[in-house]
Amino acid sequence: MKIAICSSFVPFIKGGARNIVEWLQDELVAAGHQVERIYLPQVDIPDLLLPQMAAYRWIDLASSADRVICFRPPAHVIPHPHKIVWFIHHIRVFYDLWDSPYRGFPDDEKHRHIRAILHHADTTAIKEAKRVFTNSQIVSDRLRQFNEVDSEVLYPPIIKPERFHCQHFNDEIVYVCRVEHHKRQHLLVQAMKYTRTNVKLRLCGVGVNQSYIKEIEEMIQTLKLANRVFFDNLWISEEQKVQIFSECLAAAYIPLDEDSYGYPSLEASHASKPILTTKDAGGVLELIKHNYNGLVCDPDPKALAEAMDQLFTDREKTRKMGLNATQRITDLNISWKRVLERLLA
Amino acid sequence: MKVLVVNNMAPFIWGGAEELAVHLERNLIIAGHDAEVLRIPFQWEPVQSIASQMLMVRAFELWNVDHVIALKFPAYLIRHPNKTLWLLHQYRQAYDLFDTGQTNIPDDATGKEIHTIIRAADHEAFTESRKIFTNSDITKQRLKKYNGFDAEVLPPPLNDPELFSGGKSQGYIFAGGRVNAMKRQHLLVEALAQAKPHVRLVVAGPPDSPDDAMRLQSLVEQHGLQGRVKLDLRFLTRRELGQYVNEANACAYIPFDEDSLGYVAMEAATARKPIISSSDSGGVLGLVRHKETGWISDPNPTSLAEVLNLACCDTAAVQSMGHAANKLWSDMNISWPATIERLLS
Repeated sequence: MKIAICSSFVPFIKGGARNIVEWLQDELVAAGHQVERIYLPQVDIPDLLLPQMAAYRWIDLASSADRVICFRPPAHVIPHPHKIVWFIHHIRVFYDLWDSPYRGFPDDEKHRHIRAILHHADTTAIKEAKRVFTNSQIVSDRLRQFNEVDSEVLYPPIIKPERFHCQHFNDEIVYVCRVEHHKRQHLLVQAMKYTRTNVKLRLCGVGVNQSYIKEIEEMIQTLKLANRVFFDNLWISEEQKVQIFSECLAAAYIPLDEDSYGYPSLEASHASKPILTTKDAGGVLELIKHNYNGLVCDPDPKALAEAMDQLFTDREKTRKMGLNATQRITDLNISWKRVLERLLA
Repeated sequence: MKVLVVNNMAPFIWGGAEELAVHLERNLIIAGHDAEVLRIPFQWEPVQSIASQMLMVRAFELWNVDHVIALKFPAYLIRHPNKTLWLLHQYRQAYDLFDTGQTNIPDDATGKEIHTIIRAADHEAFTESRKIFTNSDITKQRLKKYNGFDAEVLPPPLNDPELFSGGKSQGYIFAGGRVNAMKRQHLLVEALAQAKPHVRLVVAGPPDSPDDAMRLQSLVEQHGLQGRVKLDLRFLTRRELGQYVNEANACAYIPFDEDSLGYVAMEAATARKPIISSSDSGGVLGLVRHKETGWISDPNPTSLAEVLNLACCDTAAVQSMGHAANKLWSDMNISWPATIERLLS
C-alpha cells in the first residue's frame, strides 16, 4: 500500500513528535509498504495559525497515496478520502491551557474568534477521518470534551524494544529526558537533599533553555550533592541508554501534566525497571500504577525523597515492580504489531 | 548555520532532484552546518490547482532557519529573508514548453490567468532572493530570456569522486549512463561494425524501456559483434560503474543536446579518461576539446568509427588526453566544498 504519513515540524528540532512518525515509517516499510513521510513547517503564533492551516488544506495527496496517516496539528486538515488521524495533541493554548499562564496572549475578542474558528476547523477535519486514534486517554478525553469526537487510544511503542534488558540494580535512579523546566529535574535534585539512604540520582539529557541547565548545575553544587547526583548534560547514544537502563535501580519520569506516558517510561518498562512519577504527571499515570509497576507520589521534594529511599531499601519490591512494568506493557498491548493492525484496518 | 534545503515532492517518486537535495544536505553537514530537507508536495495536474499550491507554499511559515536553499518551482516561492535559489528548473510549461505548445496550460481565459500568475510569482520570488544559481547554462539562458534575471551557473558536483580514481586501461571504450534513443548508444554499436577489429565496446546502464535494450541487442546480433561488445543493461552500483570507467581506454557519451556537462563526462574526466562526444551533444562539449581532452565526432557511425579506432589504443597520446580532460575538469573547481561555499556566499 502507498501510505503518506504527515506531520508538522520545526526544522532542526528533534524529539518525541518526530519519533512516533519516523518509527512508524520504519515499521511500515519493514511490513512491505511504500511510505512517503511529509513534514511541513508550523509556527505557533496565533495570527498565523489560520493561514498555515489553509496551506495544509491545499496539500493534494488524493491521487498519489492510498491512505494518509496524520499526526501533529495541523496535519489533520490535509484532505484525503482515506484519512487516518493519530492525534497526539491539540494546539493546547487554544484548548485546555486557555485558562493558564501558558496562553501568552490576551483573552480578547480577536483571540476568542481565532479560537472559535480553530475549534470548528479542527472538528471538521477530524470528523473527515475514517478512524481517529490518540496517543493517550487524556488526549481522547480532550477530543471528546472540545470536539465531540470519539477516538481509540493507540499507545505508541518505542523502536526495537527488545534492545532493553535488565542486568542488575545499582544505586542510581535515572532520569533520561530533555532537560526542560516542565520536565522538573529540579524537583529530583531537591529531593536528594532529604534522602536518608545512599541512593543516587543520574540526569541525562540536553535542553534548549540554557538558564534552566545552569540552575540545575548550581543547585547540585549549592546543595553539596556532587557525590550523589550525576548530571550528564549531553545527548546520550541509544547504546548508552540501553546500558544505563539495564543497570539502574529505577527510572524517574516526572513531567508536569504530560499528554502521554513518555518514551522514558516505556524504555524503563522494557528494561524491567520500576518508574517513579508524580500525581500531576498527566498521561504517565495511564501507564504507572502506584505500588504495582512504580511509585506515584506528591510532586514535592520530601515525598519524592521518601519514595527514592523506599526503592533503595526494599530491593525485593523494586525488583518485583520492575517485572510488573514489563507485564504492564503486554497487558496494555503496546506493540508495533498492534499499531499496524489498527492503523491499517 | 542552520540551512534548510527546500525542494518539491512528487509523492512516491524519487529521482535526480531528490538525490541532489540529499547530497546537498549531506555536504552542508560535512561543511559544519546543520542541514535538513523540506519537501513540499506538488501536483501539476489538474492545472487549475497550480495557483492554490503556489499560495500554499507562500503561506508556510519558517522559524529556526538561518538560510534557505530552494531548488524548484513552486518550492522556491517559500518566504524567507535569507533565500538562495539553486534553480534546477522553473515550471517549463509556462515558458519554453509553452512556446512550443508542449504545455498543460489551456489556450483560454483560465490558461491566460494561470500563465500570468506563474510569471508574476516567479518575478517576485526571483526579486526577493539574495542570489540565483542554475544547474546548467540552458536554465540560466531561459531565466534571462523569459524573466530577465541574471544567474550564475553552478553545476551539481560528483557525489563520489573517490570511486573514479583511474587505472590501467583494459582495451575497451566505455559507454555508461541511462540507455535510450536520445543517448544514442545504438550509434556506437553501428560505428563498431565499421571500426577496426581491435576496438571493443562496453555499454552499461539501465535501459529506459525493454525496447531500448532490445534495439541494442539486435544490432549486435545483426552485425555479428557478440565477441566485441558487452551489453550490461541494468542499474549498476556506483562501485561497479567506477570500475568500468577506471579500466576503460576512453569513455563515449553522445547524447542529443544535453542540458549539462553530464555525470558520464564528469566521471570520465575524474578518472583521467578522454571523452568521445558528438558535435550536437550540447552541454557535454564543455568538457570535450577535440584532440585535446577527447574527440568531437559527427553523429554518424562512419565518423564515430574513425574516432573509436584512435581512442581504443593504450598509447601515450591517448593517456595524455585523459590527463588533459582531468585538468580541464579540475580547473572548473566543481566540488561539493566549493559549491557549498558559493551557495552560502
